Amino acid sequence: MIHCPSCGAALPVRGLSVPYTTCTHCQSLILRKGQALEEIGKVAEVPFDISPIRLGTRFTIAGIEYTTAGRVRWGWSSGSWNEWLLATPGGESRWLGEAMGLYMLTAERPDVMTDPLARAFAEGRDPLVGQGLEVDGIAFEVSDIKQAECLGSEGDLPFPTLPGWSMTNVDCRAPGGEALSLQRDAEGTSAWLGTWHELSGLSPRALREIEGWPLPAALR
Amino acid sequence: MTEAQKGTRTLSCPACGGTLEVRAAGWSVNLACRYCGSILDVSRPEVQIIERHKRAAGQFSLPLGARGSLFDTEWEVIGAMIRRGPTDRWREYLLFNPYVGYRWLVEWEGEWQFGTPLLDRPEAKGDSVVWRSQRFRQEDDESEAVTGSLVGEFYWRVAQGDSARARSYVARDFMLSCEEAGGEINWTQLVALSEGHVETAFGIVPPRMSRERQSALYARGGNTRKPDDLGRICLLVLASAILALLAMIVIAGPVERVSGTVTAPFGSAREGQKIGAITVRRAWQFVTVTASGENFDNRWIELDYRLVDRTTGQSIDGYGLSEHYSGSDSDGAWTEGSRSASTLFGQVPRGTYDLYVDAAAHSWPVDTVPDGSNPWSTPEAIEIRIDARTGSLPWGNWWTLVILLSIYPCVLVWRRFRNQNS
Repeated sequence: MIHCPSCGAALPVRGLSVPYTTCTHCQSLILRKGQALEEIGKVAEVPFDISPIRLGTRFTIAGIEYTTAGRVRWGWSSGSWNEWLLATPGGESRWLGEAMGLYMLTAERPDVMTDPLARAFAEGRDPLVGQGLEVDGIAFEVSDIKQAECLGSEGDLPFPTLPGWSMTNVDCRAPGGEALSLQRDAEGTSAWLGTWHELSGLSPRALREIEGWPLPAALR
Repeated sequence: MTEAQKGTRTLSCPACGGTLEVRAAGWSVNLACRYCGSILDVSRPEVQIIERHKRAAGQFSLPLGARGSLFDTEWEVIGAMIRRGPTDRWREYLLFNPYVGYRWLVEWEGEWQFGTPLLDRPEAKGDSVVWRSQRFRQEDDESEAVTGSLVGEFYWRVAQGDSARARSYVARDFMLSCEEAGGEINWTQLVALSEGHVETAFGIVPPRMSRERQSALYARGGNTRKPDDLGRICLLVLASAILALLAMIVIAGPVERVSGTVTAPFGSAREGQKIGAITVRRAWQFVTVTASGENFDNRWIELDYRLVDRTTGQSIDGYGLSEHYSGSDSDGAWTEGSRSASTLFGQVPRGTYDLYVDAAAHSWPVDTVPDGSNPWSTPEAIEIRIDARTGSLPWGNWWTLVILLSIYPCVLVWRRFRNQNS
């Protein structure tokens, strides 16, 4: 059992080897260095939303069980979305983007960063909507570019989510429904390849209970 | 943690102070107040007014917050909007279930479709598209769909007057709709719902029309579904016809008449029978010459008219035919032809004209000169009364105009009749 260095509240241990965690009591962002805990600052509480996912929700994807360990909420000029960190006890992780009731499950693809469009983006030159790039033989097209800021975060995360953190997000789509996103912030640029899903397609368990909404039969 | 268990976010409308619920908190970007119609930005904790309105949108069969079960899932109506195409108007309802996401209900002329947004995109192949190895053929030409009044919450920025280019593709079981707006393409699968399905699921009473209203609509053209624009078009046609008639009367100018009688002998024409003089007092006028005979049968009278200008001696020629036949065959007795015939002279220039008539009578079926010695046969000549007048109206042109103007409303009526029966 570890305790928040700021307020003393117990911090849940999720068995994930990511350096940052947020205290659910006082919103302190804590950096873990081995056994040492250091308070770095305060993070914004995630604004209320109707997401059926919560920290602790489990998913079975391709036979592997993941547990939801953390989330970042991003806002842009016309809305907002969640990015949930899913992790296995073995240290494997995936990101689950959640927007408008749809889910984009992604894994990082560092090799995509060698693509000329991705390289140009990393150097600060934003692509145009409709420009194309190819990954694994799939032709992707840039569908939109958003300037996003972090609205809040919770749980365990691999990066500090302090106020004012912002990024540029490029979404690309392929005819088969595959998704590719490029994200650039002050720290660097990364590429994420994934697929769109409905919640029921991810075999979720321990979903959040929402007042007035029974769990649909397909999710029980 | 108390708020996290709640299903909705409550806020008060900054425009009218009404208490509103956000049912898809976190996803909804815009909300149109159900009390004042103002469009609010609810994507952030601080609510902002985007567009202030004074009146909320009405006229939706499904109210906000209504719940119903379709395809084994419970749905809540969280938004509704009226949309208009080039010839029609329909309503779209946004359905939400936090565990399943968004769906659509489209209400078009009393028929309902259930819409599911597509995650994967159909592939274009000429005039059709292929989706999940099924071919869909394009139904109509691409047209514009414009958003009218709206109420409730939406997961994108909405405004009245938003316009999208829409196409639809059909296969045997369902339809795919493609909408393109602001560089974004959205595909939706649309499945038709059987009659009464939505009403039963959402527990609403289908709007029933009173007898008076039905008969009033029937009197307006028999269309009970979209009386508004058809009525307007019919009114426009009527107004155009009346306007054209008034214009014709003004252009026709003053009326002058002259009458007389001519004799049409059998066997040969009697030429140059003078009726009298008529004066055209405008730069040009229409002149009608009407010939009417009496009590003749199985005869036809050929009439050649000449309007001779007194100053120049030039003549304008016309032709008339007065005829009447009768008989009986296997279908019984019949009559044909008209003993009265009108001839219209178009664009007769200003001046005074003498009207001369050449008249000849013929008998039918054999054109012979009737025997004068037989007292039972027709007399040797037929008398025809001739009336000429200036300032007459070109009724033929006017009727052509009326028919042309009626084509579009007739097509509309036919289309709706066909829709009603399909």
